[in-house]
Amino acid sequence: MRAITRRALLRSGLTWCAAAPWLKPLRAIADTDARPPAPQMSPGVTDTEIVLGVSAAFSGPSRGLGIELYRGASAYFDHVNEQGGIAGRNVMLKTYDDGYQPAPSVRNTLKLMLQDQVFLLFGYVGTPTVTRVLPMLKKFQDRNIFLFFPFTGAQPQREPPYGDFAFNLRSSYRQETAGLVDNFVRINRKRVAVFYQADAYGRSGWAGVRRALKRYGRQIVGEATYRRGTRFTASMRRQVEILKASQPEAVICIGSYAACAAFVRDAVDLDLQVPIANLSFVGSENLLKLLSHWALTEGRGDSEAYTRLLVNSQVVPSYEEASMPAVKEYRDLMRRYNPQPPIELLKEPYRPSEHSFVSLEGFINAKLMVEILRRLGDKPERSQLERTVFTVQDFDLGIDERASFGPDRRQGLQQVYYTVVDEGRFVMLDNWEDRFA
Amino acid sequence: MKIQKLFQKTLFGVFSLFGVISLSTSVLCVYTVDTHLSEEYESNSRDIAKTIADSSVDILLNRDLSALQSLIDQFVEIQSIRYIYIVDEEGAFVAHTFVPGVPEEIRTGDRKDTATVERSLPGLGDFVEVGSPILAGVAGSVHVGMDTDLIALKIQRAIGRQVYLISIILVIGVLAAIWFVNLAAKPLGDLLAYAVALARDQDNGAEDKLLARDDEVGQLARLFLYFSEGVHAEGEQRVSAGNDS
Repeated sequence: MRAITRRALLRSGLTWCAAAPWLKPLRAIADTDARPPAPQMSPGVTDTEIVLGVSAAFSGPSRGLGIELYRGASAYFDHVNEQGGIAGRNVMLKTYDDGYQPAPSVRNTLKLMLQDQVFLLFGYVGTPTVTRVLPMLKKFQDRNIFLFFPFTGAQPQREPPYGDFAFNLRSSYRQETAGLVDNFVRINRKRVAVFYQADAYGRSGWAGVRRALKRYGRQIVGEATYRRGTRFTASMRRQVEILKASQPEAVICIGSYAACAAFVRDAVDLDLQVPIANLSFVGSENLLKLLSHWALTEGRGDSEAYTRLLVNSQVVPSYEEASMPAVKEYRDLMRRYNPQPPIELLKEPYRPSEHSFVSLEGFINAKLMVEILRRLGDKPERSQLERTVFTVQDFDLGIDERASFGPDRRQGLQQVYYTVVDEGRFVMLDNWEDRFA
Repeated sequence: MKIQKLFQKTLFGVFSLFGVISLSTSVLCVYTVDTHLSEEYESNSRDIAKTIADSSVDILLNRDLSALQSLIDQFVEIQSIRYIYIVDEEGAFVAHTFVPGVPEEIRTGDRKDTATVERSLPGLGDFVEVGSPILAGVAGSVHVGMDTDLIALKIQRAIGRQVYLISIILVIGVLAAIWFVNLAAKPLGDLLAYAVALARDQDNGAEDKLLARDDEVGQLARLFLYFSEGVHAEGEQRVSAGNDS
């Protein structure tokens, strides 16, 4: 038997002390101090969720835009969440209604950033709203809050001083209006007039048309405006008369569907028989719905008379192009999930469109958003967002154009599509000459 | 309410004086409010035009026109500012707030001139338009239209309140004057009744009260009594003298 030395006794005593339960809390403190601190979760991110903030029109005459964009995005987010989310986290949308008005949009954004502490802002609708929100993003730039894929093609979120706080996916109004002007000029319709919303959105499109015509040494021959929020029931006869006096060969409308449908209705009734173009923001299906319903209920019968001269530019391919993987997926997921707008935000009844260009755009936005969130890894951080977006190069979204971003390229897609109404639905325009020359 | 004839002229005088005061105060008020409000609105509009002009330089030179439109949309939300338009150095419109279009008068006028002008736009109303050059005019100019109808309405409201107050003071003043006049006239009426009673040698019941007064009415009452007693005594002397003879 070995004799117990004094040293051995001391060692065993220390070992017992170290194992004593009363020392556990102290050990925990010591361990914490010794290990590197665990990274804190970024605002808007929990173990189970990533929260994105949305402020869009869910009420008023332009509610169809906010609702359809939301539905398209929700279809894809629902699908991703059902598949287990992103690194085990579901993508959730914290949504507010701004009615397509700047002041509520600013209030909602403040709430989303400061109160709800969302991870990022996503899917905003409209130029007058977004242009007022941009300075707030600059004000809180130390928090790295970015606005992703707003439903507007205006320039302010594409160029300094606010371009660094937003990422766009869709083509700009400048590209849409330039494409329309180029095609009109090509088919010898050089006298272009503009009907536009009297605000930042209208001015953005107006400036695009003016800029495009300038390249051909031409000017806008006539212009008429309307107030934001104008409903389909309003008369646009005065506006039609103003434009008609300028003898245009084509009219480009920069507005939302209710007012533009009212303009088309009165233009046809007053015999302004020229092509009437609309930008992607108009919400083509809702425009068509209003015109067709009006022709039917007013006993005009021939709804084609009101839609024959329409040509709408789009920033996503047609939802009829099921040969494209993204379009097929969109159609499948829209059918499977049939997403509904947030019931608490609906103030008026709304009948959703089965498919629409707007919901397809929302769907594609969500698809790329999910890809970016995936690339952020297990611990998404706001500070890594910008760098992660720039890693998106030639990314295949499943449409006929690949998305790319970079420090000098904050708009992912560049293509513009043109559609006309055939047999009561929008189809791709193949030949401008045949249709309008 | 019966007013003694003696005071009717006084009351008429009070009415007339109050009327003249009310009228002159209202006229002065109209002039002052009109002048001050108009000057204030014009000054504010000029400040707004200058602010927009200063802010527009950077936007016009470096940014998209939608930013400029967004800027003027915020200012046109101010009450009394009814329209704003910005023209470039060639006089071409680059942003405006007109619906359904730029009025003919403005479209065909000298848009580069920044002097203050009064405009009457058919279907829109009457306006005072102030202008401010952008970058000393080499980058264009900003024009702000104030709604004079709205200013007139504000002036009317301000004057209406003033006249309402003066009218209330007038009514209270007149009622008070009538009450005071009646208060002053009542002893005279009593004195008259007393004098008539004395003449008829009757008792009117107010004798003690009147004679006890230490004012002019009391002195007159005592004088009437003195004369009355004198007349009575003289009359009795004449009667007894007649009987003796």
